[in-house]
Amino acid sequence: MPLLPFYLPDSGKFVVTSSILFSKKAENVKKNPKVSLLFSNPEGSHAGKHAVLVQGIAHADDTDLDHGWEKYLSFWRKKEPYIDAYLAEREKFGWFWKRIVLHVEPKKIIAWKNGDTSRTPEEFGA
Amino acid sequence: MTSLDYQRLGNFTYAVITLVGDDGFPFSVSTDFKILPDKKIVLQKPVLPTKLDGKRVNVLFNHITGLPGGGYGERRYMLVWGTTHEEHGTLRFEPKSLSEWDEKILPFDQYCAKSAPQGAKYLGTLQASVEA
Repeated sequence: MPLLPFYLPDSGKFVVTSSILFSKKAENVKKNPKVSLLFSNPEGSHAGKHAVLVQGIAHADDTDLDHGWEKYLSFWRKKEPYIDAYLAEREKFGWFWKRIVLHVEPKKIIAWKNGDTSRTPEEFGA
Repeated sequence: MTSLDYQRLGNFTYAVITLVGDDGFPFSVSTDFKILPDKKIVLQKPVLPTKLDGKRVNVLFNHITGLPGGGYGERRYMLVWGTTHEEHGTLRFEPKSLSEWDEKILPFDQYCAKSAPQGAKYLGTLQASVEA
Protein backbone atom coordinates (compact mmCIF):
# COMPACT_ATOMS: atom_id res chain seq x y z
CA MET A 1 0.00 0.00 0.00
CA PRO A 2 1.19 3.56 -0.61
CA LEU A 3 2.34 5.02 2.72
CA LEU A 4 3.90 8.15 4.18
CA PRO A 5 6.79 6.91 6.33
CA PHE A 6 8.97 9.07 8.58
CA TYR A 7 12.58 8.26 9.44
CA LEU A 8 13.64 8.88 13.02
CA PRO A 9 17.44 9.39 12.94
CA ASP A 10 17.80 9.18 16.73
CA SER A 11 16.45 5.62 16.87
CA GLY A 12 17.17 4.49 13.32
CA LYS A 13 13.55 3.41 13.05
CA PHE A 14 10.81 4.32 10.62
CA VAL A 15 7.35 5.38 11.72
CA VAL A 16 4.08 5.19 9.84
CA THR A 17 0.86 6.47 11.34
CA SER A 18 -2.35 4.93 10.14
CA SER A 19 -5.94 5.95 10.66
CA ILE A 20 -8.21 3.25 12.04
CA LEU A 21 -10.15 3.78 8.79
CA PHE A 22 -7.22 2.23 6.93
CA SER A 23 -6.10 -0.14 9.67
CA LYS A 24 -5.81 -3.39 7.77
CA LYS A 25 -2.03 -3.00 7.79
CA ALA A 26 -2.04 -2.67 11.59
CA GLU A 27 -4.16 -5.81 11.89
CA ASN A 28 -1.66 -7.61 9.67
CA VAL A 29 1.31 -6.38 11.72
CA LYS A 30 -0.28 -7.77 14.88
CA LYS A 31 -0.53 -11.18 13.18
CA ASN A 32 2.92 -11.05 11.56
CA PRO A 33 5.41 -8.26 12.39
CA LYS A 34 7.66 -8.89 9.38
CA VAL A 35 7.21 -5.96 6.99
CA SER A 36 8.94 -4.11 4.20
CA LEU A 37 8.99 -0.51 3.05
CA LEU A 38 9.91 0.16 -0.57
CA PHE A 39 11.18 3.59 -1.61
CA SER A 40 11.05 3.49 -5.39
CA ASN A 41 9.02 6.43 -6.64
CA PRO A 42 11.28 9.51 -6.96
CA GLU A 43 8.23 11.75 -6.46
CA GLY A 44 7.86 10.43 -2.94
CA SER A 45 11.20 8.93 -1.96
CA HIS A 46 13.41 11.89 -2.93
CA ALA A 47 16.12 9.25 -3.49
CA GLY A 48 16.59 10.02 -7.15
CA LYS A 49 16.28 7.00 -9.39
CA HIS A 50 17.60 4.66 -6.72
CA ALA A 51 15.25 2.11 -5.18
CA VAL A 52 15.60 0.98 -1.58
CA LEU A 53 13.76 -1.78 0.23
CA VAL A 54 13.79 -1.81 4.03
CA GLN A 55 12.79 -5.08 5.65
CA GLY A 56 12.11 -4.94 9.35
CA ILE A 57 10.08 -5.79 12.39
CA ALA A 58 7.01 -3.67 13.03
CA HIS A 59 5.15 -2.90 16.20
CA ALA A 60 1.65 -1.42 16.25
CA ASP A 61 1.00 1.01 19.10
CA ASP A 62 -2.69 1.80 19.53
CA THR A 63 -2.62 2.72 23.20
CA ASP A 64 -3.45 6.38 22.49
CA LEU A 65 -5.29 6.68 19.20
CA ASP A 66 -6.20 10.32 19.79
CA HIS A 67 -2.81 11.74 20.70
CA GLY A 68 -0.07 9.12 20.35
CA TRP A 69 0.65 10.10 16.74
CA GLU A 70 0.85 13.84 17.40
CA LYS A 71 4.55 13.72 18.25
CA TYR A 72 5.19 12.90 14.57
CA LEU A 73 3.13 15.78 13.23
CA SER A 74 6.21 17.88 12.50
CA PHE A 75 7.56 15.11 10.23
CA TRP A 76 4.17 14.82 8.53
CA ARG A 77 3.85 18.59 8.03
CA LYS A 78 7.19 18.66 6.18
CA LYS A 79 5.94 16.09 3.68
CA GLU A 80 2.33 17.26 3.42
CA PRO A 81 2.03 20.92 4.45
CA TYR A 82 -1.72 20.93 3.76
CA ILE A 83 -2.30 18.47 6.58
CA ASP A 84 -2.97 21.44 8.85
CA ALA A 85 -6.11 22.21 6.86
CA TYR A 86 -7.42 18.74 7.67
CA LEU A 87 -6.31 19.10 11.26
CA ALA A 88 -8.34 22.31 11.52
CA GLU A 89 -11.38 20.19 10.68
CA ARG A 90 -10.51 17.51 13.20
CA GLU A 91 -14.14 16.97 14.19
CA LYS A 92 -15.28 16.55 10.57
CA PHE A 93 -12.61 13.92 9.94
CA GLY A 94 -13.02 12.39 13.39
CA TRP A 95 -11.97 8.79 12.78
CA PHE A 96 -9.23 9.83 10.35
CA TRP A 97 -7.53 11.35 13.38
CA LYS A 98 -7.76 8.20 15.44
CA ARG A 99 -4.36 6.90 14.47
CA ILE A 100 -2.22 3.88 15.16
CA VAL A 101 1.56 4.36 15.33
CA LEU A 102 3.56 1.69 13.53
CA HIS A 103 7.27 1.54 14.40
CA VAL A 104 9.54 -0.34 12.00
CA GLU A 105 12.97 -1.50 13.16
CA PRO A 106 15.10 -2.16 10.05
CA LYS A 107 16.79 -5.56 9.81
CA LYS A 108 17.96 -5.63 6.21
CA ILE A 109 18.28 -2.99 3.50
CA ILE A 110 18.29 -3.90 -0.18
CA ALA A 111 19.23 -1.29 -2.76
CA TRP A 112 19.05 -1.08 -6.53
CA LYS A 113 21.41 1.54 -7.94
CA ASN A 114 19.57 3.78 -10.42
CA GLY A 115 16.49 1.66 -9.77
CA ASP A 116 17.76 -1.01 -12.14
CA THR A 117 15.90 -4.07 -10.87
CA SER A 118 17.20 -6.22 -13.71
CA ARG A 119 20.49 -6.38 -11.77
CA THR A 120 21.20 -8.09 -8.47
CA PRO A 121 20.74 -5.55 -5.67
CA GLU A 122 23.18 -4.69 -2.89
CA GLU A 123 22.26 -5.91 0.59
CA PHE A 124 23.12 -4.38 3.95
CA GLY A 125 22.51 -5.84 7.39
CA ALA A 126 21.22 -9.31 8.12
CA MET B 1 -13.24 -9.91 -8.41
CA THR B 2 -14.12 -6.24 -8.58
CA SER B 3 -13.84 -5.33 -12.23
CA LEU B 4 -10.35 -4.29 -13.24
CA ASP B 5 -10.43 -1.19 -15.44
CA TYR B 6 -7.65 -1.90 -17.92
CA GLN B 7 -7.86 1.57 -19.42
CA ARG B 8 -7.14 3.21 -16.08
CA LEU B 9 -4.56 0.55 -15.29
CA GLY B 10 -2.74 1.51 -18.48
CA ASN B 11 -2.30 5.06 -17.18
CA PHE B 12 0.14 3.91 -14.52
CA THR B 13 3.81 4.02 -15.43
CA TYR B 14 5.27 1.26 -13.28
CA ALA B 15 4.35 -1.63 -11.02
CA VAL B 16 5.59 -2.93 -7.67
CA ILE B 17 5.59 -6.69 -7.21
CA THR B 18 5.40 -7.96 -3.63
CA LEU B 19 5.83 -11.54 -2.53
CA VAL B 20 6.74 -13.27 0.69
CA GLY B 21 10.38 -14.38 0.61
CA ASP B 22 11.82 -17.58 2.00
CA ASP B 23 12.81 -15.67 5.16
CA GLY B 24 9.19 -14.68 5.76
CA PHE B 25 9.73 -11.00 4.98
CA PRO B 26 7.76 -9.30 2.23
CA PHE B 27 10.00 -8.57 -0.75
CA SER B 28 8.93 -5.70 -2.98
CA VAL B 29 10.50 -4.63 -6.23
CA SER B 30 9.46 -2.14 -8.88
CA THR B 31 9.33 -3.01 -12.54
CA ASP B 32 7.85 -2.00 -15.87
CA PHE B 33 4.71 -3.51 -17.29
CA LYS B 34 2.54 -3.48 -20.37
CA ILE B 35 -1.01 -4.49 -21.19
CA LEU B 36 -1.43 -6.51 -24.36
CA PRO B 37 -4.45 -6.04 -26.66
CA ASP B 38 -5.97 -9.24 -25.26
CA LYS B 39 -5.78 -7.68 -21.75
CA LYS B 40 -2.87 -9.80 -20.63
CA ILE B 41 -0.73 -7.98 -18.08
CA VAL B 42 2.96 -8.59 -18.71
CA LEU B 43 5.53 -7.58 -16.11
CA GLN B 44 9.19 -7.14 -16.88
CA LYS B 45 11.01 -9.79 -14.89
CA PRO B 46 13.20 -8.31 -12.15
CA VAL B 47 16.03 -10.18 -10.45
CA LEU B 48 14.38 -11.90 -7.50
CA PRO B 49 15.57 -14.25 -4.78
CA THR B 50 12.82 -16.72 -5.58
CA LYS B 51 11.07 -18.24 -8.60
CA LEU B 52 7.85 -16.52 -9.55
CA ASP B 53 6.20 -19.17 -11.70
CA GLY B 54 2.82 -19.90 -10.16
CA LYS B 55 3.54 -17.66 -7.19
CA ARG B 56 0.80 -15.68 -5.47
CA VAL B 57 1.85 -12.03 -5.35
CA ASN B 58 0.34 -8.62 -5.14
CA VAL B 59 1.12 -5.95 -7.67
CA LEU B 60 0.75 -2.30 -6.80
CA PHE B 61 0.15 0.27 -9.51
CA ASN B 62 0.60 3.67 -7.93
CA HIS B 63 0.72 7.32 -8.92
CA ILE B 64 1.32 10.58 -7.08
CA THR B 65 2.11 14.01 -8.43
CA GLY B 66 4.38 16.21 -6.33
CA LEU B 67 2.85 19.62 -5.61
CA PRO B 68 4.95 22.80 -5.85
CA GLY B 69 4.27 23.72 -2.21
CA GLY B 70 4.90 20.22 -0.93
CA GLY B 71 2.68 17.18 -0.63
CA TYR B 72 0.99 15.21 -3.35
CA GLY B 73 -1.94 15.36 -5.72
CA GLU B 74 -3.56 13.08 -8.27
CA ARG B 75 -3.20 10.20 -5.82
CA ARG B 76 -4.36 6.90 -7.14
CA TYR B 77 -3.49 3.25 -6.80
CA MET B 78 -4.65 -0.20 -7.77
CA LEU B 79 -3.50 -3.05 -5.57
CA VAL B 80 -4.07 -6.31 -7.41
CA TRP B 81 -3.63 -9.79 -5.99
CA GLY B 82 -2.97 -12.60 -8.40
CA THR B 83 -0.56 -15.17 -9.76
CA THR B 84 2.54 -14.74 -11.86
CA HIS B 85 3.56 -17.11 -14.66
CA GLU B 86 7.00 -17.06 -16.23
CA GLU B 87 6.65 -16.83 -20.02
CA HIS B 88 9.32 -15.99 -22.58
CA GLY B 89 11.54 -14.24 -20.04
CA THR B 90 8.70 -12.09 -18.73
CA LEU B 91 5.98 -12.50 -16.14
CA ARG B 92 2.36 -12.85 -17.13
CA PHE B 93 0.23 -11.61 -14.27
CA GLU B 94 -3.15 -13.20 -13.75
CA PRO B 95 -5.26 -10.87 -11.55
CA LYS B 96 -7.63 -12.33 -8.97
CA SER B 97 -8.72 -9.55 -6.62
CA LEU B 98 -8.42 -5.81 -6.43
CA SER B 99 -8.55 -2.87 -4.05
CA GLU B 100 -8.13 0.65 -5.35
CA TRP B 101 -8.51 4.35 -4.77
CA ASP B 102 -8.43 7.30 -7.12
CA GLU B 103 -9.06 10.63 -5.48
CA LYS B 104 -10.47 12.03 -8.72
CA ILE B 105 -13.15 9.33 -8.66
CA LEU B 106 -13.69 9.11 -4.90
CA PRO B 107 -12.75 12.33 -3.08
CA PHE B 108 -10.83 11.87 0.15
CA ASP B 109 -13.70 12.70 2.51
CA GLN B 110 -15.91 10.15 0.74
CA TYR B 111 -13.08 7.60 0.87
CA CYS B 112 -12.95 8.11 4.63
CA ALA B 113 -16.73 7.65 4.92
CA LYS B 114 -16.58 4.49 2.81
CA SER B 115 -13.85 3.11 5.08
CA ALA B 116 -15.85 3.59 8.29
CA PRO B 117 -16.65 -0.15 8.62
CA GLN B 118 -12.92 -0.93 8.88
CA GLY B 119 -12.57 1.74 11.57
CA ALA B 120 -15.51 0.31 13.50
CA LYS B 121 -14.03 -3.17 13.20
CA TYR B 122 -10.70 -2.00 14.59
CA LEU B 123 -12.31 -0.17 17.51
CA GLY B 124 -14.44 -3.23 18.18
CA THR B 125 -11.34 -5.42 18.38
CA LEU B 126 -9.70 -2.98 20.81
CA GLN B 127 -12.82 -2.90 22.98
CA ALA B 128 -12.95 -6.68 23.04
CA SER B 129 -9.32 -6.88 24.15
CA VAL B 130 -9.97 -4.38 26.96
CA GLU B 131 -12.98 -6.37 28.15
CA ALA B 132 -11.20 -9.71 27.98
